Amino acid sequence: MLFNIIQKSFLNQKKAVALMLVSVAAGTAVTASLLTVSYDISGKVSKELRSFGANILIEPKVEGLAGISGQKRFLREEDIVRAKAIFWRHNIIGIAPMLEATVEVKANSRTATYDIIGIWYEKSLPLPGEEKQFTAGTRTVSPWWDIKGQWPDSHEKVIAGASLSERLGIKTGDEIFMNGKRFTVSGTLETGGREDNQIIMELGALQEFMNMPGKISKVLVSALSKPMDEFAYKDPATMTQAEYEKWYCTGYITSIAKQLEEVFRGSRAKPVWNIAETEGKVLNRLTLLIYFLSFLSVLAAALGVSTTMIMSFLRRTHEIGLMKAVGADSGKIITVFISEACLTGLIGGTIGYVLSLIVSQYIGTQVFSARLEQREMLLPIALGSAVLIAVLGTILPIKKALSIKPAIILKGAE
Amino acid sequence: MSFIILKNIVKEYGPAHALRGVSMEIQKGQWVNIMGPSGSGKSTLLNIIGGLDTPTSGEVFVEGIKINALSEDDLACFRREKTGFVFQQSHLVPYLDAVENVMLAQYFHSMADEEEAVGALTRVGLEHRLKHRPSQLSGGEQQRICIARALTNDPVLLLADEPTGNLDRENTKMILELLKKLHSEEHFTIILVTHDPFVSQWGERVLMMEDGSIKSDAPINP
Repeated sequence: MLFNIIQKSFLNQKKAVALMLVSVAAGTAVTASLLTVSYDISGKVSKELRSFGANILIEPKVEGLAGISGQKRFLREEDIVRAKAIFWRHNIIGIAPMLEATVEVKANSRTATYDIIGIWYEKSLPLPGEEKQFTAGTRTVSPWWDIKGQWPDSHEKVIAGASLSERLGIKTGDEIFMNGKRFTVSGTLETGGREDNQIIMELGALQEFMNMPGKISKVLVSALSKPMDEFAYKDPATMTQAEYEKWYCTGYITSIAKQLEEVFRGSRAKPVWNIAETEGKVLNRLTLLIYFLSFLSVLAAALGVSTTMIMSFLRRTHEIGLMKAVGADSGKIITVFISEACLTGLIGGTIGYVLSLIVSQYIGTQVFSARLEQREMLLPIALGSAVLIAVLGTILPIKKALSIKPAIILKGAE
Repeated sequence: MSFIILKNIVKEYGPAHALRGVSMEIQKGQWVNIMGPSGSGKSTLLNIIGGLDTPTSGEVFVEGIKINALSEDDLACFRREKTGFVFQQSHLVPYLDAVENVMLAQYFHSMADEEEAVGALTRVGLEHRLKHRPSQLSGGEQQRICIARALTNDPVLLLADEPTGNLDRENTKMILELLKKLHSEEHFTIILVTHDPFVSQWGERVLMMEDGSIKSDAPINP
């Protein structure tokens, strides 16, 4: 009977029901789309932020007498591939090893000592246990490097930093001598950083040139990470076993750094805090903004439903008075209204969910230039929010319905 | 003990006095008509007896239950368990058909039972109009649905507020004949409000109200 009442009541007030469905569907579509975005935003924005540079620096561990004596220590190039074997290997999206040295540079009759760095420009690495290859190199962690000229294509070619080029009066195509050996400048680089005063060449070439086979000074890593929270800042040394396991298996920048430290022998890996923290703050604020907007959309939709329900209620006061006159108590009146709200929520929620699939993909392609992953768990959440919207919107009309005096309403209808 | 006892019932709407200390008793199975001009307080009295309204002061007992002390939900329970209402305007739900309108009262009472609802409509001679909506029925037929709805939960008290007020003489007589038949067969108590002298002659007793008070209380000569 209840279903019969609701069904016929819906058919009797098609415009009001249509308005409520539009409110619920719109609210659900916005909420579900924002949630879809929020699930993916961490990964997508993190990827976007990765273009600002590496967020983990791995250096040789310096301790004991080596630290005091200033004896230079190195990492091993062969360990690089092991970075893609850690628990959070899929979060490692860029690895750039670097060997630092000092050379005497002679050009245009000027001679001076400069820093030289050996890097991988772009290198395909075999992934442990997989057929796929992984592209590593400076171009993956510092995509903003804009070479005027060309990237070197042989061991006899180098890139010269912009400031250094100016001081030595060299340009692309010129020849320079380093430690007496001739090289050609294939391009110049201006980053605003240390590279502007350095010579850059291929890592293998520098190792050979400096007779330092397999050695690297540091590794820059670009990793997708979870925004830092209070737990993430806890010192792992003070954690219980369970806490440590939870921390280790959460994609914090600190736990990823810890795992990298474990695979690079004799290393110390540390987050580049200014980048990691900025990233965390941006992501946290974006997520908070999305939740806030979701809440506002639920509230706005509930207000829409409430307004329509009140209009519908005003048309149905006589019917409600009659229900009360024939013995409907508060529970039965609430049941009728809440059931109507739930049905409105389920229908509107389904429409809203389908709309959200379209809207979220539109947002994904327009904002992130990528499709967002649709999660099945979002359907019950969308339907739940839709029912919540409809029920919230019904609270005021229910209160009004319960306060109706049937004697007055039925007499007033005469 | 009388079936209905009213003790000094006063009903005020702001400064206006709808009832000024009404006291009376009604026996079980009696058919009482209440007459009086508009504004005399007859509908207010009916609503208070039926638990649709509450008095400002005084006491109302129906079958021993002091209904003026009941909460809103207990009053709703009293209405669905003990009473059946028939109004001047039929007050049917426009989008439900005849059977569903009767089933609505059953649903709020306990459980909707289509067979019983059809039975109730058959008792009032509407077995051929079961699936018609109110707008497809005449005034007399709509009132008969109201009577079927009022009686479907086997009330002990039938309250009718000008049930024939919108009907022509032929339909009025048909409704009264129906009430008489049901009353003689099932012996429930009827309180009927009317301002029509023709209607007031049906039943067993007539109360005359004026300005919120009972001016006369007399049996109807058969």
